[in-house]
Amino acid sequence: MLALVLRRLWQGAISILGASVIIFVISRLSGDPVVMLVPPDAPPSLIAEIRTQYGLDQPLVWQYLLFVGHALSGDFGNSYRWQMPALKLILDRLPATIQLAACGLLFSVALAVPIGVLSAVHRGGWIDRIGRIFAMLGQAMPAFWVGLLLILVFAVQLNWLPAFGHGTPAHVVLPAIALGWYPVAAQTRIVRSAMLDVLDSDHIRLSRALGTPERLIVWKYALRNAAVPLLTMLGVYFAAMLGGAFVVETIFAWPGVGRTVVEAVFSRDFPVVQAGVLFTSILFVLSNLLVDLSYGLVDPRIRDVR
Amino acid sequence: MKQWIIGLAAAASLAALPLAPAQAQSGTLTVGLGAEATVMDPTRSSAGVDQYFFGQMFEQLVRTDPDLKQINWLAESWALSEEGGKPVITVKIRPGVTFHNGDPVTSADFQYGMQRQQDPKLSRFSHLLNAVEAFEVIDNLSFRLRFKEGDGSFITSNLHLWAMPKRHIEKVGEEEYQRAPVGTGPWKFVSRTVKEELRLEAYEGYWNKQNRPAVKNLVIKIIPEDLTRVAAYKTGAIDWIDAVPPAATAEFAKLENTSTFTAVTGNNLFLNFNTHQPNSPFNDVRVRRAAAHAIDMDAIIKRVLFDQGERYAEIGRGTPGYDPDLKPYPYDPRRARALLAEAGHPRGFEVPCYNLTTPREPNIKEMGEAAYAYLSAIGIRCQIRQLEYGAWINLGRRDAPPEMDGIVSWMWSHGLPGDPGTPWLGHLHSYQAGKGLGSYSYTDNPEMDALLRQQQTTMDPVKREALLKQIARIKHDQVLGGLTTYRPMVTIAWRTSKVAFKPWPSPGFWRNFQEIGLK
Repeated sequence: MLALVLRRLWQGAISILGASVIIFVISRLSGDPVVMLVPPDAPPSLIAEIRTQYGLDQPLVWQYLLFVGHALSGDFGNSYRWQMPALKLILDRLPATIQLAACGLLFSVALAVPIGVLSAVHRGGWIDRIGRIFAMLGQAMPAFWVGLLLILVFAVQLNWLPAFGHGTPAHVVLPAIALGWYPVAAQTRIVRSAMLDVLDSDHIRLSRALGTPERLIVWKYALRNAAVPLLTMLGVYFAAMLGGAFVVETIFAWPGVGRTVVEAVFSRDFPVVQAGVLFTSILFVLSNLLVDLSYGLVDPRIRDVR
Repeated sequence: MKQWIIGLAAAASLAALPLAPAQAQSGTLTVGLGAEATVMDPTRSSAGVDQYFFGQMFEQLVRTDPDLKQINWLAESWALSEEGGKPVITVKIRPGVTFHNGDPVTSADFQYGMQRQQDPKLSRFSHLLNAVEAFEVIDNLSFRLRFKEGDGSFITSNLHLWAMPKRHIEKVGEEEYQRAPVGTGPWKFVSRTVKEELRLEAYEGYWNKQNRPAVKNLVIKIIPEDLTRVAAYKTGAIDWIDAVPPAATAEFAKLENTSTFTAVTGNNLFLNFNTHQPNSPFNDVRVRRAAAHAIDMDAIIKRVLFDQGERYAEIGRGTPGYDPDLKPYPYDPRRARALLAEAGHPRGFEVPCYNLTTPREPNIKEMGEAAYAYLSAIGIRCQIRQLEYGAWINLGRRDAPPEMDGIVSWMWSHGLPGDPGTPWLGHLHSYQAGKGLGSYSYTDNPEMDALLRQQQTTMDPVKREALLKQIARIKHDQVLGGLTTYRPMVTIAWRTSKVAFKPWPSPGFWRNFQEIGLK
């Protein structure tokens, strides 16, 4: 097990290093950040001064090595725009993003599991069809549109929930729905397909033959087995939500990392982009690692193969 | 000593302002802004949006009042004079002004403020004080600024200097000061959560007892999405809303218990032509005039901008150099086609048309597309290329490739009421590498260059006004440095049943809470 953990950590470190190179190069391909920081009449001496201040006058390779060296000690440099440590800017926003992603994931699972189970149990019936249509709606409607609809209905018309902001449990409800609805269709398909396989298996047939109540068979014996593939995917979904919450964060004025990083991309605020993307990469790698490990724990065959 | 102007701004003194009755400061007001400042220190500002925050806490020697007239503020009086052929500004500071920590404001604080502004490590506008040769402290409440040469926009830029608490910054250090700024303004800093909110408290020791907030606490919420901001207002989560989306302004005007205020933002939009490359069709003034006659800007303002724009000819209303006799080119497609044919393009021509798509100005992308469609209709066939802000800046700048080879939607901003002098040096003066001149210019006109440099060093407001008008007339006639299109307008709204509000610009934007209170 320890060997598996170490191997995965090593692979994760390589992935993060790769991500650091990609984000470093791509961010610099977007152009010169200094021209966006100075007024049009700024003399070249001022532009040169700022370039020196941020080390942008150094060769690109040297800039990268400095970035990696500093990053290893937790220094991602100062944001060009915010003029504060980029790492602090990201870390301060991280809890809000994790909260939103976790709630979004919880919402999607809470919908996908019953819909998937009921669809499998009533395969081809109207419950199956309606369930899958509902799940598909989330994928068919873009998050910004869902978010705005939710605000109009539940905040403006019904006045049940706040339209924006962060701080109380009520604030997370609408953003979590807007974020979590999209993966419901895919998760439903995973649960439904796994349930269909399990429900056709020998041990379920045996349980039925022994007269075990159907509810117990479906929701306990079959679901426990069918949940394994979904659990495997949850890490990926969680990581995707961490990185993809930008639209929802903007609509609901949610103070998260996604919004911070995307705004930094547009203003060529390299330190913030680098810190944000690297931290999202680390979370992505860690969540996949956790899933891999949990998969190994659940199924010893996989652990042995590795 | 030759005395040019004594107490220039005293003509519009505080006593002339409509006075708000002094009210007890209590309660909390929550407002919603669409954009967020990045820094809260005027010295470190790099964008106009920063003024949304620091404008509440910091003040200058002079400022613009709600009628966009320059008035004395932290300066009790000031005078422009000349010594040895060089300009001198002598300032007397208003007595009794204190910082939020209780320290009195003295000449040393302005001197310190200027030193910080001149430091390129701190300020991205350090070059704006290049003309100042020396800061002489006369006594605690008066000082003298000596200039190497005239600086035309120094006066219209509210004398540039900010009151910065020297003793406090030296005591707490830069890092702590950036976290918790201290100024002289009506609001003092309480807390800030980036991407979320700024909390301020009315400063009890504020010097101006007449024009001050009548509410104890102010919470500024950041809500970037337009429709969410509107929803927040409708649900009562905020009682004052910034930047009502253009499409919703008519609805807000009809809302019960709501007042709206619409004014120009200080931004000035135009279409810039490449009149620099030898083969550019826009080298011919007839083609530029054809373009000017081709666009029905009134229709675009009405239909695309929902009336949230104001046409202008070179210089907008209220801005130094504004000439009411200068009118925008009328929409006349027939005349436009004739001019194009006269210039040797009876079948028209194709040209790259670069369109800015920033969310900074509402509907700017659609406005550009509409303008380019009008140009295409008379034969200037636009191949529209959309550009995000960064790519747009790159394209416009002359000191790095690629070169703008057609038409680009461009803009300049100098706050309110604004001053065209400095922006014109950027996009109307010919490009001169290494001198900060013509950094965004695709125009080469020696006569214009000479006039622009003259206005740059002319400090006498009367002479400068005449020069600006002269430049504007030539610019307009020759359609040089671009075709002016419109000045965007912003609508703000507040709940009249709860909020009393008088809009003040600070120093260039309308998101200022100088006079606001709860009913």
